[in-house]
Amino acid sequence: MQAEPSQIADDDLLRAISQGDESALAALYDRYRLILFSLILRILHDRQEAEDVLQEAFLQVWRRAADFDQARGRAFTWLVTIARSRALDRLRMLSSRSRLVDPEAEPRADEFSDTGAEIVKSEQGEIVRRALRELPEEQRRPLLLAYFEGLTQAEIAERLGDPLGTVKTRMRSGLSKLRELLRDRSRDLV
Amino acid sequence: MEHAEYQELLALEAVDALDGRDAQMMRAHLESCPSCRGELAELRDAAALLAHAAPPAAPGNEVRERIMRDIQSQSRPTPIQAQNVVPFSQALSAAWPNVLRLAAALAFVALLLGIVMLWRRDAASRREIAELARQLNRQQRELQVERDNVAKQTEALALLNSPDARKLALAGTPTAQTARAMFFYDEKSRHGMLMIEGLPPTAPDKAYEVWFIPKGRSPMPGRTFTVDATGRAMISDNFPREAGDSMVVAITLEPKSGSAVPTMPIYLASPAS
Repeated sequence: MQAEPSQIADDDLLRAISQGDESALAALYDRYRLILFSLILRILHDRQEAEDVLQEAFLQVWRRAADFDQARGRAFTWLVTIARSRALDRLRMLSSRSRLVDPEAEPRADEFSDTGAEIVKSEQGEIVRRALRELPEEQRRPLLLAYFEGLTQAEIAERLGDPLGTVKTRMRSGLSKLRELLRDRSRDLV
Repeated sequence: MEHAEYQELLALEAVDALDGRDAQMMRAHLESCPSCRGELAELRDAAALLAHAAPPAAPGNEVRERIMRDIQSQSRPTPIQAQNVVPFSQALSAAWPNVLRLAAALAFVALLLGIVMLWRRDAASRREIAELARQLNRQQRELQVERDNVAKQTEALALLNSPDARKLALAGTPTAQTARAMFFYDEKSRHGMLMIEGLPPTAPDKAYEVWFIPKGRSPMPGRTFTVDATGRAMISDNFPREAGDSMVVAITLEPKSGSAVPTMPIYLASPAS
């Protein structure tokens, strides 16, 4: 590739990867390894497993880059979807799910704080964390349970002890509000 | 479900939280609805940003090396050593005399005949198996309904025997004068059972919805349900921690997937305290 890797758009990197350009994959890895690894580790709570899954996710990107269609969504969403799906598959495969996920656990205190966050303390990340803090806890929590633990609506209702209809309504309001909060700034986000 | 009802469920689909029938129907709807597909793509973009809520962490440096090593080995598969490979057609013609060829042809014809016979027998067996499978499915469904009923009755009994059990009577409004219901609940576990009778049957695209209304606050949606041919239903649900002892429980008729705010009129309601 001719330009500096840091200046090349995600879509162009994925196109180059689909043509077998190894340096493009390396550039994409350098760009997203932190956010994707943080996501996978948050799901699995195990560094070794998380590193394996990160590796699998990038191998999938290498093999399937030609499937990415920018008309159907952003490259970042496509990458996150691959990483999250593989991490949740691994979570379900591990028989020790009960060990990994403590049903009684309260949301982690560090989830929205920047303590020790220097390594991914990007402006974009800060915008998102601020938007998340603006969501009421009752809307944020079911969304995070679905996102990081792969729970379904019925499982979330059971976990939180809330009526199913209330859980649906809160998740819907939460994600819509998050989208609104981010809409104006979304062009600048990863 | 109507288009608008699918739109209501898109946020849950965006975080893969739909289950069972909702998930199946959503997948089928998305195939034929470009507008919902577009909306879902936007919601998925928003959901993907939830990744930023994860506590920050960095992978070890060796992960990058492992990935690059793996893709290099995939890019350049080791070629098979040409000198060790003998073309199959050459080997065949050199090794097989004509007699063997004839025997092979006869064996091939016999094999074909055998396959035809097996296929015919197999087709009849498959028809029988399909019929048995249909019967089994029907019986399993009936059994599941019975199991669900027994589970609900067991749950109701356990609730009634609980020392913390409370009850709330719901009366039919002028819209459903003959309807009545009883809500048994345990304040400690915030779990309750609603036993309903006398409600009219619903249209296929409608369902009843339970509402918990904490004093001085907006109604909070509970489960949606339909009644059997006799107008009865028994459902269990959690009720919100905000509800408290002075909550009102009410039932309205809504679109099948449920509503976020109740549509009038009310069919059943407990008295306001």
